[in-house]
Amino acid sequence: MAVDADVVRLRRGDLNALSELITRYQNRLYRYLLRMVRQPAEAEDLFQQTWLRVVEKIRSFDASRNFDAWLFTLARNLAIDHLRRIRPQSLDEPLANSWQSETVADRIPCKDHTPLDHALAAERRTEISEAMAGLPMMYREVLTLRFEDEMKIEEIAQVTAVPLSTVKSRLRRSLEQLRYALEARYPGGTWQ
Amino acid sequence: MSEHDKFRELLALAAADALTSAEEKQVAEHVRSCIACSDELGAWRPLASELRRLPTPQPSSWLLQSTLARAEAKLTEQAEHDWNRRVLIVVVAFAWLLMIASWLVFRVVSGRFGSLLEPQFSHTWISFAAFTALGWLAGGVAAVMLAVRQRGERRLA
Repeated sequence: MAVDADVVRLRRGDLNALSELITRYQNRLYRYLLRMVRQPAEAEDLFQQTWLRVVEKIRSFDASRNFDAWLFTLARNLAIDHLRRIRPQSLDEPLANSWQSETVADRIPCKDHTPLDHALAAERRTEISEAMAGLPMMYREVLTLRFEDEMKIEEIAQVTAVPLSTVKSRLRRSLEQLRYALEARYPGGTWQ
Repeated sequence: MSEHDKFRELLALAAADALTSAEEKQVAEHVRSCIACSDELGAWRPLASELRRLPTPQPSSWLLQSTLARAEAKLTEQAEHDWNRRVLIVVVAFAWLLMIASWLVFRVVSGRFGSLLEPQFSHTWISFAAFTALGWLAGGVAAVMLAVRQRGERRLA
């Protein structure tokens, strides 16, 4: 059944609709929150709080809006409030990157894929996940929304409440920082 | 900033499929004629590709059940709250109607038997008003006490 129909049923207080929505969004929402706060226990708590907030606010949800964006905005607000309370420093804007003009990319060799690359894929992804966890919150957020949730730039702008140009700029910087972090962790491009 | 540098800045976004179709076309044209940018784009692509395939952390089944249970409690609480509000509105409206109706009845009765009641009229009227005010006051106090108790119970739960 479509999300819209579940939302309409939830507005009438139908618990089954809520169950279906939670099941449908569980992985995406949990992953997003985990990328934001990095601690599974905190992500779980925020996951619960997000759905309680959904129940509380569903009547004020404008049905013409995108439910995905609304849900992730609620989750985001809760995560940011939580981070502000627990670890205010984690919300700091990153400092200007002096390395941006460097040709870090040139130092990372571009290899053709070999069977060995495929065998090491899982290891590479773990390395990327770990490097991603070391990025500032807003960079982790834009990466997970774009690549893992496959949201369009317009949807990301809606969730994060910033202009399209800012989303693009954050996306570019987050990719650059991630690449730099990977290169710093695994010199010689061993992560590739 | 040279044209080359401008395109170079767009390469990460190109790998992320985050360019407009016009930008995409321009970048593609530039990359065809620029080996450095072509290599750079080639270096971005594996990272973008791996990011799309990162393992998805799974929430525990306990979390889902617990979330559903809490949400159910919240829904029930909201439904109860809505019901209480509706009942309160009806009760208040009924109380007002009753008071107005009883006042009208009282006027009719006092008009018909005015001569009999005349000596005690002011006393009876004051008693009636005092009784009504007392009833409203008691009702209000009871409502406040109930709300405080209910809130306390919810907090403990």
